[in-house]
Amino acid sequence: MTNISAVTVEPPRGRAGWRSMLPRWSPKLGVGLVLIALITFIGVIGPLLVGDPNTIRDISLTPPSGDFWLGTTWTGQDVVAQLAHATRGSLYIGLMVGVMATFLSALFGIVGAYVGGYVDEGFNLFSNVMLVIPGLPLVIVISAFVPADQRGMWTIAVVLAITGWAASARVLRAQTLSLRNRDYVAAARVSGEKSWRVITVEILPNLLPLLASQFVFSVIYAILSEAGLSFLGLGASNSSTLGTMLYYAQNSFALQRQAWWWFVPPGMIIALFGCGLALINFSIDEIINPKLRDIPRRVKAAVTRKPEPAPRTDDDVVLTVNDLSVVYQVENPVHAVKDVSITLRRGEILGLAGESGCGKTTLAYAINRLHRPPAEVTTGSVTFHDREGGDVDVLALTPGELRAFRWSKLSMVFQGAMNALNPVITVRAQLDDVLTTHRPEMTKAQRKAKCEEVLKLVGVDVRRLSSFPHELSGGMRQRVMIAMALLLDPQVMIMDEPTTALDVVVQRGILREILRLRDEIGFAVLFITHDLPLLLELADRIAVMKDGEVVEYGAAQDMFEQPAHPYTRQLLDSFPSLTGERGSFVRSGEQLTPVDRSGEPTPSGGVR
Amino acid sequence: MTTLEARELVKDFHVRVGLRRVRLRAVDNVSFTLTPGRTVALVGESGSGKSTIARMIARLEKPSAGAITLTGPDGAKVPERAYRDNVQMVFQDPFASLNPFHTIEHHLARPLKLHGRAHGWEDVVQLLERVSLPGRDIAGRRPHELSGGQRQRVAIARALAPGAKVVVADEPVSMLDVSIRLGVLNLMARLQREENLAVLYITHDLATARHFSDDILVLYKGRVVERGPADEVILNPQHPYTKILASAAPNPEARGRAVEIDPADVERAGASAAYDHNTGAWEEVAK
Amino acid sequence: MRYYARKFGFYLVALWAALTLNFFIPRLLPGNPVDILMAKLSQRGGTVDPSARRAYELLLGTDSSESLFQQYISYLGNMFRGDLGVSVSAFPAPVSEVIAGALPWTLMLVGIATFLSFAFGIVLGTFVGWRRGTWLDGLVPATTVLAAVPYFWLALLLVALLSSAWGWFPLQGGYDILLTPGWNGEFISSAIYYGTLPALTIVISSVGGWLLGMRNMMVSATSEDYVLTAQAKGLRGSRIMIRYAARNAVLPSVAGFAISLGFVVSGAVITEQVFSYPGIGSKLLQAVQNNDYALMQGVFLVITVAVLGANLVVDLLYAVIDPRTRVSG
Repeated sequence: MTNISAVTVEPPRGRAGWRSMLPRWSPKLGVGLVLIALITFIGVIGPLLVGDPNTIRDISLTPPSGDFWLGTTWTGQDVVAQLAHATRGSLYIGLMVGVMATFLSALFGIVGAYVGGYVDEGFNLFSNVMLVIPGLPLVIVISAFVPADQRGMWTIAVVLAITGWAASARVLRAQTLSLRNRDYVAAARVSGEKSWRVITVEILPNLLPLLASQFVFSVIYAILSEAGLSFLGLGASNSSTLGTMLYYAQNSFALQRQAWWWFVPPGMIIALFGCGLALINFSIDEIINPKLRDIPRRVKAAVTRKPEPAPRTDDDVVLTVNDLSVVYQVENPVHAVKDVSITLRRGEILGLAGESGCGKTTLAYAINRLHRPPAEVTTGSVTFHDREGGDVDVLALTPGELRAFRWSKLSMVFQGAMNALNPVITVRAQLDDVLTTHRPEMTKAQRKAKCEEVLKLVGVDVRRLSSFPHELSGGMRQRVMIAMALLLDPQVMIMDEPTTALDVVVQRGILREILRLRDEIGFAVLFITHDLPLLLELADRIAVMKDGEVVEYGAAQDMFEQPAHPYTRQLLDSFPSLTGERGSFVRSGEQLTPVDRSGEPTPSGGVR
Repeated sequence: MTTLEARELVKDFHVRVGLRRVRLRAVDNVSFTLTPGRTVALVGESGSGKSTIARMIARLEKPSAGAITLTGPDGAKVPERAYRDNVQMVFQDPFASLNPFHTIEHHLARPLKLHGRAHGWEDVVQLLERVSLPGRDIAGRRPHELSGGQRQRVAIARALAPGAKVVVADEPVSMLDVSIRLGVLNLMARLQREENLAVLYITHDLATARHFSDDILVLYKGRVVERGPADEVILNPQHPYTKILASAAPNPEARGRAVEIDPADVERAGASAAYDHNTGAWEEVAK
Repeated sequence: MRYYARKFGFYLVALWAALTLNFFIPRLLPGNPVDILMAKLSQRGGTVDPSARRAYELLLGTDSSESLFQQYISYLGNMFRGDLGVSVSAFPAPVSEVIAGALPWTLMLVGIATFLSFAFGIVLGTFVGWRRGTWLDGLVPATTVLAAVPYFWLALLLVALLSSAWGWFPLQGGYDILLTPGWNGEFISSAIYYGTLPALTIVISSVGGWLLGMRNMMVSATSEDYVLTAQAKGLRGSRIMIRYAARNAVLPSVAGFAISLGFVVSGAVITEQVFSYPGIGSKLLQAVQNNDYALMQGVFLVITVAVLGANLVVDLLYAVIDPRTRVSG
């Protein structure tokens, strides 16, 4: 919920099915594909177009010319012809090893992870052992024991595959472990699907991008390793690969004789092929992890901030939001917040209610300028009226002023139960760095005392200061978040779904704490939630949002007694009362009349 | 009249703490019966064991002790291989319970086929229309093209596809937007009426449990602490833990009330004997 | 504690697996290495006493008078005493002595180069990931070319350019051969001078992998809620980047160290060969060319033990920087 970019503008959640397995078009992908196509062409078609690579001529080491585009070797062989055949040999090895290693990694990674238990532990141990035993030295030892005349392409390919699958198996295992716990796998099992079908039909397709990327890695690994082996004279006998070509070039002192045209091209082909595969892999990675996608370039929209900062009308008001609009500047700009105006009075709790995607979180973040591109404030103003006098035009602050404003005047409480606390540093460090940043004049002892004071305020044992977030329960983490928000005695606190992921009993405890602290300290709260009944009980005033607009705005009591907007009524009806009547809820035997408003959809798909 | 009886279900998990293996009792001696046309709600907080019970009924976990018996209309025990023809489950998160790779048609055609029912395009469309979705339009789409509410309807259709008589619904609406929750619950209620289904409704929300179900079992740390007819349990709770749960729920009518809940109270409350509204008696903690 | 116990246990198993592999490879592959060895030894005029032959047989497995299991036990015994046999190519020096002379060179070269490449990669990756959407993104594809370049090819080009053509660096070797090895400033600075180019080769070809991995994790970490919290707290950008984003993003790179180290070591073996560097990579190839099986297996074992040791150290370090491992184990 707190991830702003995920709220409204999440483009269709990624394409599914076969189409989702295809990478998105990007310049990187284009360059990669061109490189691969070119080199594959050299390797597959090239040998048919060039002469015999082994023809020996009496023109030793001639530089590139019209007859020999890349010159000749020490024995007068055509480098282009050699290159074509050598490329074919290397591609062949790469493909063979790629297929075999991917198969092995799928076997040990996917099957082990799905079966689980001792099979998984055994397979995993085996993969990890194979992983930490260094590959190339092992390959060298194995190759050295096999007499040269028995060392064919296949031997080399098998040895490379055996030493090269383990890393992929580890990656696949991790992903399979996460997939096998997905509900759709459980659902397939509940429908009675057999295990092999669950693996092949339900799990495997979702692993395809990962398999593809692991295959690509294996191919790069194989071509590079084979080149190294051949360069050492340990490659397949009678084979012709880019590695053997480099071996001969080096043994004929090509570089010392300035014959760069013999030595440089084979290495270039390996490097460019590897680069092409890596570029394709980028695009595959973007399928696996959509966060890696390139950020769409910002269309710099002219920001028209017509309304100047709102003047202080009344000393009772602490924050004025005037005609604020936030737009996600993507291809089809999305108006996440439309001309919203709200005021927050000192010491009040203002509830902001709405369903997912209504723009409530975007609004809250925009108030503190925490929205990230592509979100942009297009119109409106946010004015903070300091209790010490003076108004702050938040949207006009310079970065330095903004940093100083944040947390000291306006702090935030996120869904701490989730990931709002840094998992790898202690609670003390996370409280402390607020003070070192905003109150550099405080001594260490003063900071310690302040941290302990706020923890006591929210009812958390001060010994928890040296705990890490994962050592705390969900409720405790939320209390720590609130304690952190209290550190600088702010006048406004924005709370984004602070109790959503918690059990009702814990939730109740946190809410009591918030009310009590508000009464004692007197900060104002902007409380964001989807839970309207909760707000009706807790808040002084409520704004209901729908599709980026505030549709109803008024005192909580009034809204409960006489909801004005149909959407507010619909929301209220959606929560059946615990002790009262059923509202629009229908049970067995009753008829369906009152349902139309919120219940059964029309077959045209009127439901959200 | 297909009836499911769960008798003295126990589920232990073994977790390693340090070098020792510690037994964690997730479900402790829970018994109930699901009968056609009636809904039993399991209510509890996270860690109460309610989802584990659902998974045991759906045969995703094996009970450590106790039995789950399914009795067919003829009064005979349903054989194991026909179990999944009769018992199906609706999962909590409709975003996770449909495979993003496959079309809606795949999700419905497979169970239809597996359980020997017709499985052509028309049957899929028909099934989708039963859950009030425009079948022709939707069958060819993929899960990400549907809204949460639509997905959950598909998940319900999938559970009905094998011709199930017993449906386990594990928090079927808690991941949905509030304004569409009742629609989905009403749909389930309608299907239950039409098919005479036995439903196990699992939730943390007392209000929907009260209105949607006939009987309620309140769970605390794997144990049933109170059971009885829905209105009885909610409106006239006997067990201290149930009382705490009821008072913790948001209540707009009680603005400004002070509900101080001490976690130690909850602990103490949960430990006391169970109350059964049907017999009107307290039962000693079975040990 | 459990975490540490498990890690030590794992590396013991891995060590045992490497020893066992070493035992079975010569027995399972075609060819008769002992006879080749014996022939070589007599060529060099060495007296072949029966105990030497038996040591080879244990190592390479052609003696059929004993059961495989007994051979295995005797072999393990020899290994634990550090008895790796006698080198043929450096006859009559024992393998352990040959390795002991070469090992420090490799440890220094590969150790320093790997550390530098890791450090550069992490720092650059942090910046590139943090400043996403700027020109720095262009660096990312460029590094893939470097990562896909064969080590030896790059090494030879660097030698051709920097040593042969411009004469900045020596062509090959580990130190100026006019000096006598010892712990004095002159010798050490010579070793550093000679080691620069091999190290540069290793750094250039491996830095891209670290950079890319770190950059991708940074991108994921910057969209985490704790980074948002840090921004809301009004912390300085640099502090958020280091303490919040990079601190979390570096964890997978450290955890994945084992995978990358294998590649680096493989590359280093070949790089040493190119520079005729006096490390164990060169010794391995010297052994291969001379059919010096005892030395070959000894070097393989030592490389494996070194890699296992490095991974163990990294795993222990991981436990220090990720508090979650200490509890959950």
